[in-house]
This record gives sequence, structure tokens and C-alpha cells, in this order.
Amino acid sequence: MIQLHNVSLAYQQDASALNNIDLKIAKGEFVFLTGPSGAGKTSLLRLLYGALTPNRGQVLIDGQNITRLPASQIPLLRRSIGVVFQDFKLLQNRTVFENVAITLEVLGWGRADIGKKTMHILKLMGIESKYNLVTQRLSGGEQQRVALARALVNDPKILLADEPTGNLDDANKNQILNIFKEANIRGTTVVVATHDRRLIEQSYKRLVTLNKGEIVEQVEKETASDDKDL
Amino acid sequence: MNKWKKKQPATTKTFKRPTLAGDGFGGRAGFFFSRALTNIRQNVFVNVVTVGTITLALLIVSLFLLVFVNLENAAENWSERVQVTVYFDKELTAQDQSAFREKISMLPGVSKVSYVTRDEALRRFKSRLKGQETLLEGVRPEVLPASFEIALKRSYRDTVSVENFVTVLKRIPGITEVQYGEEWVRRFNSFLNFMRLLGGLLGGFLVIAVIFIVSNTIKLTIYSRRDELEVMALVGATRFFIKAPFLLEGLMQGMVGAVLSVVLLFGLYEGFLHNAGSFLTFNPVTSGLSFLPPEYIAGLLLAGALLGFIGSLTSLKRFISV
Ligand SMILES: Nc1ncnc2c1ncn2[C@@H]1O[C@H](COP(=O)(O)OP(=O)(O)OP(=O)(O)O)[C@@H](O)[C@H]1O
Ligand SMILES: [Mg+2]
Repeated sequence: MIQLHNVSLAYQQDASALNNIDLKIAKGEFVFLTGPSGAGKTSLLRLLYGALTPNRGQVLIDGQNITRLPASQIPLLRRSIGVVFQDFKLLQNRTVFENVAITLEVLGWGRADIGKKTMHILKLMGIESKYNLVTQRLSGGEQQRVALARALVNDPKILLADEPTGNLDDANKNQILNIFKEANIRGTTVVVATHDRRLIEQSYKRLVTLNKGEIVEQVEKETASDDKDL
Repeated sequence: MNKWKKKQPATTKTFKRPTLAGDGFGGRAGFFFSRALTNIRQNVFVNVVTVGTITLALLIVSLFLLVFVNLENAAENWSERVQVTVYFDKELTAQDQSAFREKISMLPGVSKVSYVTRDEALRRFKSRLKGQETLLEGVRPEVLPASFEIALKRSYRDTVSVENFVTVLKRIPGITEVQYGEEWVRRFNSFLNFMRLLGGLLGGFLVIAVIFIVSNTIKLTIYSRRDELEVMALVGATRFFIKAPFLLEGLMQGMVGAVLSVVLLFGLYEGFLHNAGSFLTFNPVTSGLSFLPPEYIAGLLLAGALLGFIGSLTSLKRFISV
């Protein structure tokens, strides 16, 4: 599903953010990406949804080399990828509903369908009662769930989540984690970048550790590796 | 608008992508349109200023056009009067008349040749001095010359052709005294050419100004919505999808501006210009300025829409790089 070959990325010259990354993630996998601040987790995710192109190497999504993708094809790629951004990127003065519906509007869905689908996902996230509040007035955890709802509303093939449990209490963390697991069970490939050791220890199947732009460790639990075609 | 409200099959519990119900051009156009309206509503002041500026610019252009079109009509009228006259001291015999007529008619560019007798010349002279006939007392036809009046085909009426024609005409033996003219008509034609140039420059300048203004308004709108545009791009909106509402906004600004300018022009015309400028024509029935012909109005509206569109396009080119 996701393949990186020899990928290097530098925002400025001679200060590389990612170095010689080789990584394969199979369809239906659930992968945690960890590492200290500045290790390059966000940068790696950005490569996957076409917000950045690497200076060297190839990035393949679903067999498609996205480093060679013409700009007009990037939107189509993004429609199959749901992203939860580290800073959420919610529209502050818009309602919860509008923030989630935008994913479907962009696809040209009809109003009635958008309404149904959006309310359905808000219900799954447990925030359907807040659908008409502007996101400015939500708690951090609620905002996180709105961001998650927006990422998942179109049933993406891939879910990328950047620090999705940043400022949540344990109960909320577990809920979010369960949402990831459910999406994963429905067939979505999930990549979660996080520092949160507890979250990882508690549930990881596969863990990739980055440091200073390089993969320093990869751990896979036996129990989870049997049905993967890696 | 409700065409996607058709019943969903009962089985669609798992949400598959709906069969592109709102995907048709109609559905999208509606969506773009409502977004463009939202943009305008959120930046009312800027939009009003922009539309006002477009209106003013197009009004200046259309006023200029109005005057110009009328001048051109007048010039067209007058150039009917560009003719070459050959004078003879004596009345010609019928034989000479037909001989000259034949020779002249054979020259290229001649559309009509008519002989004016001395009596006819005097009659014309008298009618021109209506009311002051006393001045003409004692004037006899013999003091006036007989003449051939030669009307030229339209394409032979410009200065150079007329001069060439006269040179050839003078080669006919017996023709010496030639006047061609209405010198001032020809001068007026070069004045019109100057006006054309001036109008072109003025129009060009205003066009650039309008594009610049529209492009700046759209930039402001885009700037105020940049977060939303970023999110749209990140969830997979195509460039076209992001741009379309702004293009529509520019288009609407241009069209509204154009309509307003035409309305204002008509107001000005009815109020003032209608009766002005009767000096431009000789025919008292058609005196006064005429309003712009419909194809010019259509052109103005089209130009407004086009300017708005191009203005918006230029700002989008530089601004949206997602
Ligand atoms: N837009 C940018 N311009 C320049 N340098 C950047 C930019 N974004 C990130 N970097 C640099 O790239 C490196 C990796 O950053 P990245 O955001 O990928 O780290 P991270 O692992 O996500 O960190 P964190 O856990 O704090 O989110 C850092 O050294 C950072 O300074
Ligand atoms: Mg990060």
C-alpha cells in the first residue's frame, strides 16, 4: 500500500529532515511511527499525501509513484487518504458539521447525502450533539475528534494521524484508539505518528522508530504478523 | 436543485459513494454559485468598491464610444459629399457633354456623373441664400460656371485616392479647372483617426486598470479564506474546484459593473446628450446624438464579464499554488 525507497528530504540545503528511508506498509496494516521531536514523523506523513516531494527516492502509494504524479493528480490521491493533522487545521469560525462536510463537498456530493454521511460519522465519534457549534468553542479532545471525523468521513483507504492523542486524558485516548482500530478492521491502512509510549505499548502491532530523519528501529509483534503480505 | 433527493436504496447502510447525484454540472454550478455569493457577502465593501470602479471605467469607455460612434456616423454622412467638380467657363454643347461624360465615366472609382447647367447652378446658389435673395439681384446665370459633378465610389473617397483620381482626370483634354474637396471633411477624417488612437489608448489603459482592481479584490477574498482553501486542497479538491467560485465572483463583478455602466450611460444620454451635438449633422431630422447600437451594448456587457474573469484569473494564477 505504502512504499518508500531510499527517500531523502531536506527543507533547506545541508539540513536533511529525512535520510535514506526505506519502508513498506502493507494494505490493512496498523503502524505506529515514533521518535523524538524533530525526528521527521510529520515530514514523512507529508510525503505520503503529496504535500512535499522528496529530494531523492520514490514514494509509492497503491503502486503509484507519487513523486512523478502531475499536480493535477494530487487531489485524486488525497481523496483516498484521510489525514489528521498535528495542528488539526480545523476552520475555527465554522461549525463542526461544516468542518467535516467539506471533505464530501469537495467531491461534489449532493447536499442530502453529505448530511446523512456527516451525521453518521459524527455519531461514531460521539460528537453528533455538537454538530452546530463552531469549532472554536470545543475542547481539545472534541476538536481532535472533529479532525478525525473529517479524515474518516469518506472511508479512506489510508488514514494518517499525526499526534492524534496530544492532549487527551486516558479515557479519550482509548476511545480514539478504538476508532482507529475499527477503521483498520474495516480495511483502512492506518499510520499513527506519536510520542505517546503508553499508547504504543498498549496496542502496537508494528512500530517504526525514527531519529534525526533515519529509521533506527522496527519492531513487529508476532501475533500480528501472520496475515500480512509483507 | 433537489434532484439528488431521490430515494436511497434501503441496502445502502454502508456508505458507498453516491451515484454522483450532485456531480452533474448543474449541481456543481449551483455549489460554485452559492460559494461565490458567500464570498461576496463576506466582503461586501470591497465588492461594492470594485463593482463601482468597473462601472466607472466602463462608463468612461462607453461615453467615449457614444461620441465616437456619432462622429463616425457624421463623417459617413459628410463623405457622401466628397465629390470632384470640373468647371467650364462656357455652357457645353450636348455633344461635348456626352463626350466628357463618357470619358469621365470610364475612369476607375466613378459612381455617378452629373452635369450642372449655369441655370441649375444659379438656382442652387439662390436656395442657399434663402431670405437674402436681394443680394442676388442682378446676378445672371452667365457669371456662374457650368460643371460636371463626379461622385466617387466609397473606397475612392480618401485623400490619396481623390488626389490620384484628379491627376488622371486632368489628363483628359479640355479639363483644366478641377476642384475636389470639402478639404475639411478629409481633415475631419484624420481627426477621427486621431480619436481612434486616443480611444484605443484610453480603452487599453482602463482595461488594465480594471483587471488590476478585480485581481486585487479577488486577492483579498482569497486571503481572507486561505485556511479554508488549504483544507479544501488537503482533502482532495481539484484546482478547478477551488478556483471556480472566485472566477465566478470576478465574472459577476464584471457583469454587474457593465450593466450598471450601460444603465448610467442611458441615463446620461436621456438627460443630457440626447439633444447635444446637433451641429454634427446637416439633416435636421436626425440631429442630436443617437444611442449606442445594440451590438455595442452587447460588446460592453461581454467586455465587462471578460474583464472580471481575466482579473480573477490573474490573481488566482499567482495566489493558489496548492
Ligand atoms: N516547514 C519546514 N521548514 C523547514 N524545516 C522544517 C519544516 N518542517 C519541519 N522542519 C524540520 O524538519 C525536521 C523534522 O521535522 P518534523 O516536523 O517532521 O518532526 P516531527 O518528528 O514531526 O516532530 P514533532 O514530534 O515535534 O512533531 C525538524 O528538524 C524541523 O525543524
Ligand atoms: Mg510532527
